[in-house]
Amino acid sequence: MKFGDIFFDLSMRSVRLNFTRSMLAAIGIVIGVVAISSMGMLGTNMQLEVKEQLSSSANTIVITPDSVRMGAPGTAPSSSSNSAVTKTQLTKITSVVGQNGTVIPIYTTSSQFTINSLPGRGMVYGLDPADIPEFLTLNNTYGQGTTNLGVNEVLVGSAIASNFGVTVGDRIKIGSVTASSRPQLRIAGILNPRGTVADGVSTDNAIVVNSKWYTNQYGGKDEYNQVNIIVKDTDNIPDIESAVDAKINTNAKSPAIRIRDAESLLATTTSTLGTVTTFIMAIGGISLVVAAVSIFNVMMMSVNERIQEIGILLSIGTERGEVRRMFLYEAFILGLLGATIGGICSLLIGYSVVDSMIGTTQYFFMFDSIVYVPLGMAIGIVVCIISGVYPAWKASNMDPIDALRSE
Amino acid sequence: MTETPLIQLVGVTKTYHLESGDFTALKDVSLDIPENDFVAIMGPSGSGKSTMMNQLGLLDIPTSGTLCISGKDVSRMSNLERTHMRRDLIGYIFQKFYLIPLLSAYENVEYPLILKYKKRDTSGKAAELLARVGIDAGMSSHRPTQLSGGQQQRVAIARALVNDPKILLCDEPTGNLDRKTGLQIMDILCTLHNEGRTVILVTHDPKIAEYATRTIRLDDGQIVEES
Repeated sequence: MKFGDIFFDLSMRSVRLNFTRSMLAAIGIVIGVVAISSMGMLGTNMQLEVKEQLSSSANTIVITPDSVRMGAPGTAPSSSSNSAVTKTQLTKITSVVGQNGTVIPIYTTSSQFTINSLPGRGMVYGLDPADIPEFLTLNNTYGQGTTNLGVNEVLVGSAIASNFGVTVGDRIKIGSVTASSRPQLRIAGILNPRGTVADGVSTDNAIVVNSKWYTNQYGGKDEYNQVNIIVKDTDNIPDIESAVDAKINTNAKSPAIRIRDAESLLATTTSTLGTVTTFIMAIGGISLVVAAVSIFNVMMMSVNERIQEIGILLSIGTERGEVRRMFLYEAFILGLLGATIGGICSLLIGYSVVDSMIGTTQYFFMFDSIVYVPLGMAIGIVVCIISGVYPAWKASNMDPIDALRSE
Repeated sequence: MTETPLIQLVGVTKTYHLESGDFTALKDVSLDIPENDFVAIMGPSGSGKSTMMNQLGLLDIPTSGTLCISGKDVSRMSNLERTHMRRDLIGYIFQKFYLIPLLSAYENVEYPLILKYKKRDTSGKAAELLARVGIDAGMSSHRPTQLSGGQQQRVAIARALVNDPKILLCDEPTGNLDRKTGLQIMDILCTLHNEGRTVILVTHDPKIAEYATRTIRLDDGQIVEES
């Protein structure tokens, strides 16, 4: 496209002459670009948010009992007897880790609870009070708390604190709301939000209790649901993982424990989110197909209304390629118009959607996220140009004599 | 040694294949038109005048026979070569003016220059030609729909002349004009002929045909009289 190209001028004038019709056709492109860009940005912001949260626990190895085992294909599924990490296994893990990290055994269950007469449900984590400061922090805006939990004290997660209007010192009853009597514990602190984490301890909607209280209440002493290893140097993670695996999973066909870390969880999660993002973008892309039909229709109308003009152009020495270019410009202008409006709307709508659905826009203007705006615009323009190919071809291949006779 | 005529038709036949059967619009027409000739082509409706003009204007090619322009057999030329010849060698003036409605009078005249030189006109040639045919600067910014028939035809003549064509094809150029304006247009065409251009004119009007130095009568696709 050359600056001052008369064919571009002609196309611009044609669009201006039929401005309402052109704008209506371009609306389809606007919607398509907004759909693709917003969905792409939303998905990417989700991925970046999850990545950030997961990487905050990148120094943690999570060990869980390998309680469900599937048999080899064609054989009956077998279930291993490992429903918990045992004390012996914990001792082995501790000896393997040595001075390279901290081993944190964790009990988990889920339970109903009541705070300020309001019932709720959440995870209950049983931890040794000495381990809590290793990976959990307190939010003291609700009152000065402590992680040094007494047997009848708990910490509650940030979501519970805000939903139930908790302050430090409030009481919480843990257990089924229909139970005749339930233990009542003192809330000794409120935890900072953790979001999605890779270490398996999602405390936002959870209660952290003293492990002694946990085993008194639920039994299962020394049968841990999970063991976390917080390593000092993340470079040692593969070595520690293989050492633990070699020490405990002695039977390769029926391993006793599963070992994972943030990296493997991150890979799975981002891959899943990536697939979901692509899928929802494809759904957004359907609106572009509808827009393409609309642009095609407008372009065909433009060609049919200008048959005589095409005849004049051809009869006074315009090359067929130049006529084709003129109509492709027109499709491009429609696409550019729709894509520009769509791009601006994408920024506004995408920002609102990301803010409301993810809760933060800190990643919105990052390249990986914002790139969906020019990408969506480019797709919109390309769709328009493709829609204009047949009408342009039809115009350029007209017989000038027939075209001139047309009224 | 005789000089090769600017336009030479040898046994040109044009047959259209219609659903109702084949229709031959030109039958074995042979004609020489030398440079700086002024030829009027006359004949009743359906006699083949328009088909002849389409052939001479390179909008179509003969079904059989040979049409040579400037010594080149048009049937052997590619579509693009014919387009370039039409652009550079032929100026077409239509009965219905056929100006481009989206462009101003000035831009309509400038348009063939842009086609040829692939850039906007900076030589002032378009404005000069418009002035020559009696379109002032104020009118040259008007769109065709804002001009009278006579003004539109003047613009069309300026457009036809802007690339300095050797041949001017005029398809009933006064057909849509009143008598007085028609005569003014014919005066312009005579001046152009006197300047050395070859003018080929299709008309029904014997008074208009009198301006030509030679008249060819067509009937049923054949030349029946030449004077």
